Amino acid sequence: MTGPVIGPVTGVELGILGQLGLVLVGVVVAVTVPPAVRSRASGSVSVLLGAAGAATGAAALAGREGVVELPTSLPLGHVALQATPLGGFFMLVAGGVGLVAALYGIGAGHGPSTSRTFCAAFPVFLGALQMVPAAGDAVSFLVAWEVMAVASTVLVLAEHAARAEVRSAASWYAAMTHLSFVLLLLGFAVLAGTGGGTDWASLSRVDPGSPSASVAFVLLAAGFATKAGVVPVHVWLPRAHPAAPSQVSAVMSAAMVKMGVYGVLLVTLRLLPGGPSWWGTALLGAGAVSAVYGILQASVATDLKRLLAYSTTENIGLMFLAAGTGLMLRAHQVTPAADAAIVACLLLVASHAAFKAALFLATGSVVHASGERDLDRMGGLGARLPVTGLAFGVGALGAAALPVTAGFVAEWALLQAVIHGARPEDRLVAVIMPIAVTVVALTAGLALLTFVKAYGIAFLARPRSDGAAAAVESSGSMQTAMISAAVAVVALGVAPGALTRAASSAAGVEPGSATLTGVDLSGVGASLEPLALLVAGALALAVVGAVSAAGRRQRRPVELSWGCGGVRADPRMQYTATSYAEPLARVFDDALRPERDVVITHAAESRYLVERVQFRQQVVDLMETRLYHPGLRLVDRAGTAGRRLQNGSIHRYLGYSFLALVAVLLVVTL
Amino acid sequence: MSGSEAGVNLPALTVALSQVVVLVVLSPLVIGLMRTVRARLEGRVGGGLGQPFRDVRKLLAKEPIRAKGTSWLSVAGPLVLMASSLVVCALMPLLGTVTFDRMPDDLFVVVSVLLLGTVAVALVGLDAGTAFGGMGSSRHMTIAALVEPTVLLAVYALSIPVGSSVLSRIVAARLEDPTSVFSPVSLLALLALAIAVVAETGRLPVDNPATHLELTMVHEAMVLESSGRDLAWLELGSWLRLGALLGLLATLLAPWGVVTEVSAPGLLLAALALSVKLTVAATLLATVEVFVAKVRLFRVPELLAGSFVLAFLAVTASYLVAPG
Amino acid sequence: MSESMYAQLVGLCAAVLLLCAVLIVWRRSLHGQIRLLAAQGWGLGVLVAVLGIHEGDGQLMIVAVLVLALKGIVLPRVLTRATVTDNGDLREETPLINTTASLILVALLMMLAYLVSRPVQALGSTPPVAAVPVGMAVTLFGFLVLSTRRHAVSQLIGFLLLDNGIGTIAFLTAGGVPLVVELGVSLDVLLVVLILQVLTSRIRAEFGGADLDDLTELRD
Repeated sequence: MTGPVIGPVTGVELGILGQLGLVLVGVVVAVTVPPAVRSRASGSVSVLLGAAGAATGAAALAGREGVVELPTSLPLGHVALQATPLGGFFMLVAGGVGLVAALYGIGAGHGPSTSRTFCAAFPVFLGALQMVPAAGDAVSFLVAWEVMAVASTVLVLAEHAARAEVRSAASWYAAMTHLSFVLLLLGFAVLAGTGGGTDWASLSRVDPGSPSASVAFVLLAAGFATKAGVVPVHVWLPRAHPAAPSQVSAVMSAAMVKMGVYGVLLVTLRLLPGGPSWWGTALLGAGAVSAVYGILQASVATDLKRLLAYSTTENIGLMFLAAGTGLMLRAHQVTPAADAAIVACLLLVASHAAFKAALFLATGSVVHASGERDLDRMGGLGARLPVTGLAFGVGALGAAALPVTAGFVAEWALLQAVIHGARPEDRLVAVIMPIAVTVVALTAGLALLTFVKAYGIAFLARPRSDGAAAAVESSGSMQTAMISAAVAVVALGVAPGALTRAASSAAGVEPGSATLTGVDLSGVGASLEPLALLVAGALALAVVGAVSAAGRRQRRPVELSWGCGGVRADPRMQYTATSYAEPLARVFDDALRPERDVVITHAAESRYLVERVQFRQQVVDLMETRLYHPGLRLVDRAGTAGRRLQNGSIHRYLGYSFLALVAVLLVVTL
Repeated sequence: MSGSEAGVNLPALTVALSQVVVLVVLSPLVIGLMRTVRARLEGRVGGGLGQPFRDVRKLLAKEPIRAKGTSWLSVAGPLVLMASSLVVCALMPLLGTVTFDRMPDDLFVVVSVLLLGTVAVALVGLDAGTAFGGMGSSRHMTIAALVEPTVLLAVYALSIPVGSSVLSRIVAARLEDPTSVFSPVSLLALLALAIAVVAETGRLPVDNPATHLELTMVHEAMVLESSGRDLAWLELGSWLRLGALLGLLATLLAPWGVVTEVSAPGLLLAALALSVKLTVAATLLATVEVFVAKVRLFRVPELLAGSFVLAFLAVTASYLVAPG
Repeated sequence: MSESMYAQLVGLCAAVLLLCAVLIVWRRSLHGQIRLLAAQGWGLGVLVAVLGIHEGDGQLMIVAVLVLALKGIVLPRVLTRATVTDNGDLREETPLINTTASLILVALLMMLAYLVSRPVQALGSTPPVAAVPVGMAVTLFGFLVLSTRRHAVSQLIGFLLLDNGIGTIAFLTAGGVPLVVELGVSLDVLLVVLILQVLTSRIRAEFGGADLDDLTELRD
């Protein structure tokens, strides 16, 4: 597979070739190694693959260059792989996530995730994921994209035998991901037709102001948005994430959806820089809607993985919002704030990758240990799964954008960019920026509630089911994977300087005078040093702790401290995830429209005596029921009507052929 | 305070530490004052100014109990709340606008640190595993989530004239040009911020701090299960938040007295000015509280939507009525 | 009056007008709304007076006094009389859109007002022109109140809000209208309100309430 490379091989080229080789090795290992050690052997290869991707990405970010051209048997010419700083950033993110997910997969080995198909598809998925940002022309990009889509569909299907909903989720996913592919194909075709070639250089010859550029932008943006899970094409996310094994969900959510963001940045920054202002506005609008809708759905979700999936939609929305802000401000010549917004977008990408990986892996560990995915049946897991609880807690802090995590730095950067973007001269900008601040703020507030709910209900208080009560901590490699993701969340938050510099070079903007521990958005005159904040907090905590310890009075253990005057604590008295989100669901009743069902059973003796009250609440995705179901019903009806054309009679089929022949002859002669 | 600057930025350290000390002393007094004002207006005698101090001293000395099934958070949560409140006190430019170069008192950062404390209390409420703890926590977080847009928009509005969200620069600009305090932008933003502060610190009409009925509790419901020094930290931590936020409002409205350069008499005068401002603000708030009733929980979003619109108007007013 | 003080006074008046309009949308109590309307009338009067002093225009000063008297005192009185006879039912209990949603709509309408007044801004960058979007916003809020409230008096309030908004725009852009026109318009408004007040009290005497939803059968 590795083609003839001419001349000395650079480090980046070696890295790309190494990744391709490791994919091959991974597949061979998965097919040949016996089941007992398959997951370990295949997992180790995937770990190496992820590490190779991260290293190559880092090298590309540092400015190293390299081009690898591979001959293919397709009639499309060769596949060109080339590393750029922007691509390198995303390759680094994908590699890092792949590494921890693969490490987790080693220990999670049981059931369908040790099957031959699964073990072969995982390295292929990782490899394709890491090759998408390395693609040097439209054809290679689409090839890598399609391999990524197919491999991930196979992985989503891993547990299809055990759970029926997996099949439906996989078909939703397959349909949406191919919709994305078709849109991208059309978009690139428009660009290639105008530019006269499929390599990036030819595509970027298209004038961004021309109508064909706008058509291509709309097609490409829609395609990338579908992959990224932006509302209203997000419907596959809350289905596919709960269906897939946790390490796959982690890679899909933390890395794969980011390729949509990469695509948008590739088109708007590299291929068609300087597009009209409405491009940015459109991205911003789509991002704002996704952010609010995603977090609202997440805040009322009770399935932990569904909650995380909707939170992904929210975060992708924020990234689109940041990218859109950057583009719009660039079009209006507010360059410093625009640069800050694009850097903020990349910071969001990296921080989301870190905390979402930690959250999904920890969730996987919870499911593994307790067999429960429903938050309403968890509780008290913090004491039973201390490492998982720690990883989830740190991830949740990041997702809630609290100091001092990576999420906090990213959100701070985004807010700074937005508040420095408004200039009253540009009316549209002046109107949009306050709305953007509102969206970011509302999203942040609801994310806070969502993750307090997720952590508090799952890990604190008393277990709400037998599964949760009997949970035991998962294996060593899973713990290592979770903890390394959690460490990344904190490390990127405490020392964001290096990341900011990387993001600046990836976005091609002037990096501020950043130190290792500080972010300096010099363009907008704002700086942040989370380490100083951490030191201050630690000092305060130490002082309070010292005063506290001076009391020296031991805590007396009791059954129940007050318990509303009760004598025993029943786990059923606790608030559940549903009840926790109830006030919020009421406030946003019009936007969520939850289906509530109250059944009251009266006692036989008198209808004034109530025997039992049953309450059921379900929040359905309105986009799905209002937008997709009518469309699907229409297609269904057309299909039923079409079926009448075939009744199995050979005479009818021959008749069709005959009619077709006559029709063709008529067309030719007339 | 950050490692590389230890000992260099002495003025900023002085200001930060004196702010912490002054607020730790003043905040319980503010609570005592508010309770006394309330009591007098209702025809009662009240516990006196020093009662909160005596409460905290008593709680610190008492034996804390620990219910079965609670986690480390029941112990750590109160400490985190207290620490976050202390950091907020240190960050805000209530006595002087001298800050650390590496740790500017960016309002977004201040809000995040405050939220860390909010989350800590909410988790303490959930950790108890009782019905009321969860109820309080859920309501508390719902309110916190809905307050967030108001707060950040108000911050945005305040930052527009200065071009920065750093608090000390905002206060310094107000000191230089006192008329800017009474611009529509500033007044609307402060009004919005005041409602947000009332909601965030659990005062009437959002939450009744003196309620004895569990069903109406928000903040009190979360701390029901805490005792001894844990409760002491929870109480003191929330008092400090109230003190700091009231102080911030008062300082933004009347920036006089805040020093721009550190000197012992200047700081003393600033502390005196701060206590006067806090006295006025607390008396005002307590008086208003006597005359309003707690609104239903599901009417709170209405109040917050109103404050949000005010903040929004503050932002737009900066474009509308102050051209150029 | 110095230029900066003039700018600040115009800004302050505009802010008062806007704030009163928002609070009218916010509050449910009809009495509260009427008081706010009175305050807004005062704000408009002061705004006209400020413009008059700055322009040195005596006629504008007369108009200011007129506006103050009519919108600050007379109309609120008339409205209060319309509600006083109401048997304690002084709240807009069930508006068509709930208050939270109306408030968010208000924020969006504000933005809309700001966007659509872009052509007016081309007139120059004087303080009154910068405040034109406020007038536009008040007009839009008035329309919102008019179309979403059920109570007849609330609708009247919405109508007056609309009128105040139009007046604000006129004073800010054209430096006011000729005295005669202003007089005519004011009398018109007064007449409309008086007629409506009489109508409301008659309706109430006849049907016992002024909720517009009960009045759908009044076709003939």
